[in-house]
Amino acid sequence: MFDIKTLESYQAIDNKLYQVMDAEGKLVIPKWKSSLDNEQIVQAYRDLLFVRTADMMAVAYQRQGRMFTYPPNLGQEAIHIAAGLVMQEKDWLVPAFRELGAWLAKGVKLSEVFLYFRGHEDGSRFQEANRVLPVAVPISSQLLHASGLGYALNYQGEDAAVFAFVGDGGTSEGDFHEALNFASVWDAPVVFVIQNNQFAISVPLAMQTRSKNLAVKGIAYGMESIMVDGNDIFAMHDVFSFARDYAVTNKRPILIEAVTYRAGAHTTSDDPTKYRTSEEEEEWAKKDPVLRLQKWLTRKKLWDVSTEEELIASYRKKIDAEFEIAEHYPEYNIDDVFGYLYEEMPDELKRQKNDYMNFINSSGGVK
Amino acid sequence: MKYIFKFADIGEGLEEGIIIEWYVEKGQSISSGDPVVKMETDKVVTDIPSPKDGIISQRFGAVGDTIKVGDALVEIDIPGVEGEEAVKTAAEQPLPPSETKVEEKGFGVVGTIEVAGEGAYLPSSGEGLPAAEAPVKQEGTRKVLATPVARAMAKDLGIDITTITGTGPAGRVTKKDIERSKHQQPAASPAQPAPVKEQFTSQPLSMIRKTIARNMIRSKQNATHMSVMDEVEITPLVEARASLKPHFAELGVNISYLPFVIRAVSMALREYPILNAELDMEAERIIYKNNINIGIAVDADDGLVVPVIPDTDQKSLLELATKLNDFATRAPKRELKLDELKGGTFSITSFGSIGGYYAVPVINYPLVAILGVGKITHKPVAKDGEIVVGNVLPISMSVDHRIVDGGDVARFLNLVLEYLQNPLLLLSMWDGGKEGYKGESK
Repeated sequence: MFDIKTLESYQAIDNKLYQVMDAEGKLVIPKWKSSLDNEQIVQAYRDLLFVRTADMMAVAYQRQGRMFTYPPNLGQEAIHIAAGLVMQEKDWLVPAFRELGAWLAKGVKLSEVFLYFRGHEDGSRFQEANRVLPVAVPISSQLLHASGLGYALNYQGEDAAVFAFVGDGGTSEGDFHEALNFASVWDAPVVFVIQNNQFAISVPLAMQTRSKNLAVKGIAYGMESIMVDGNDIFAMHDVFSFARDYAVTNKRPILIEAVTYRAGAHTTSDDPTKYRTSEEEEEWAKKDPVLRLQKWLTRKKLWDVSTEEELIASYRKKIDAEFEIAEHYPEYNIDDVFGYLYEEMPDELKRQKNDYMNFINSSGGVK
Repeated sequence: MKYIFKFADIGEGLEEGIIIEWYVEKGQSISSGDPVVKMETDKVVTDIPSPKDGIISQRFGAVGDTIKVGDALVEIDIPGVEGEEAVKTAAEQPLPPSETKVEEKGFGVVGTIEVAGEGAYLPSSGEGLPAAEAPVKQEGTRKVLATPVARAMAKDLGIDITTITGTGPAGRVTKKDIERSKHQQPAASPAQPAPVKEQFTSQPLSMIRKTIARNMIRSKQNATHMSVMDEVEITPLVEARASLKPHFAELGVNISYLPFVIRAVSMALREYPILNAELDMEAERIIYKNNINIGIAVDADDGLVVPVIPDTDQKSLLELATKLNDFATRAPKRELKLDELKGGTFSITSFGSIGGYYAVPVINYPLVAILGVGKITHKPVAKDGEIVVGNVLPISMSVDHRIVDGGDVARFLNLVLEYLQNPLLLLSMWDGGKEGYKGESK
């Protein structure tokens, strides 16, 4: 449990990290109890496995030329699953682009995720998910939308929160600061989540900021800020539960820094061996969120590791089926790409369209 | 059915990749998700997994070949699937051309010239616009979009740039276009040009070759190279190595002369820290390195790599030999990790194992010294006033004369040679590196 009293002893300015269990899956807070029951925790572990499998398969699809690009979630999944456990249907999810588990929890279909990264606009038209914004490619721009959504919730008198995600690199963007300031000034119920995965593509955190941590940035805007071990699903769940409750009850924003590590590449176009050492990767691998929960569950005799292989095989089938839906989705009409900006297409746009058609017709089948 | 698995643009805007390693053989069965091939691209080196279950019926390209995006990697025979799906995958037909053909003269029509104006403007740039207002000469020279560099290049080659079809933005004539048209230019005078044998074949630079080229230029442009050469009679060392060889072999380790050289150099570097240093011109200071990490030049098929053995002054001969064996196995397979290529403070190149007595090695800038080991030969040498046959090892060294003086390098080299001459010194004078090494405490 994390409450307002806990918050007092975990002030960002003191550089204190909220952690419930260590890398070995052992509790570091004596007598800690989860607000989740055992069944929910086991389900959370299954979700972690599912998301990790889907993530790794997504990278493989991209390498096979079946998807244009993909940002791997490897190592950060606990943050997303924990958020998924806390977010309610009426809450808004405002993603950056690396929150697969949270999207799925909100009802986004895996086939829609694949469709998006296959370059299809319909991948952002969620059939069953409510109150989820599409992926935001321009870094940090989504946070301004989040502040606006929070303001709107207040205006409409709804008791709901906005979960808004950004990376560590995003905190260097002006939009981040504008969004936090507006949310605070307007009392918008936004849970801002910085996924501090240590790298903005290849720029390490040390080159990104001179602040002692990223959570302290919230202090300047007059909001509560918490630094959490992002690879500890219990800690993340505690803090998300508290933050949602805090935001909705007090009509105030709150900032969470989830300290984690991007174990994979930034996207499939990136090669992290060029800018970081394998020692560093190995150090973080020991703190892996999935492994950590697995150790906890095994110790509690709630999980039999020997069943995992079969489970993952069944997940693989499911994921392949979802991918095939995306792969066989009707192709978009190329005219749509050019058709909607002007009532009548200007010459320059016609030229671009013509160039593009020539490219499509001459290129190696890349559509 | 036969399924052609093509190399895709796996890095947002790639045009090609180089085959690093095949994981499959012809006739081998493969499952969806299994790695097929390792590819190197401008952005990543990565495994490409198979999209299908089946049997590899054909492989396209050998290790080192460049594969264009869209070209075939393998053909997979998928048992049990016939007919329509086969047609579907094989087809992958490009979309039909847009029905709204844009009517603009000069666009991508082979054989005509890109005329500036008539909408052929570059967005966000004034270039080309004035020509639209100015009357365009209909005959003779026509205005062509090209950079000054491209114009100069065409002029140098004696090619009339107005005869070239541009493929750049807005029909801009690029250097590539000129290059291409150079090969298409008819021979000057004879009406019927005789078939000319190609003067050269070109091969695009690999990533590793680009890196080597850049590093070599950087070294030669920045360091003031000064070289010194000497030779040493090493019969006792030859004997020492011969007697150690079977013992090392029992441990599965092949020992060359290089571990002895590394030991000698490491011990001497502790006496002469200036050779284990770096010059920081900007801050006007010398940076002495507190560790002795020696980079070893390894000859690999696709180019030189220099993996580093850290703390060589603290490593036993067995550890050094084991590390060298390991590099020799992994370097050609390109399995060395980035960390292993970093952090060197001194370099050794042992070209003599291939051939050559002396060389002027190029410093691995920003380091300040490199030692080259030449070929050991039987040669007459004078010993106690007699001429006897000795084992002579030639040594070459290059240093950055900006901070290393001639005296320093000669004294350093004397010490190295002394150690190599008396292998017992290599053992008896070595303290196991336990006192540590502090560069600045000379």
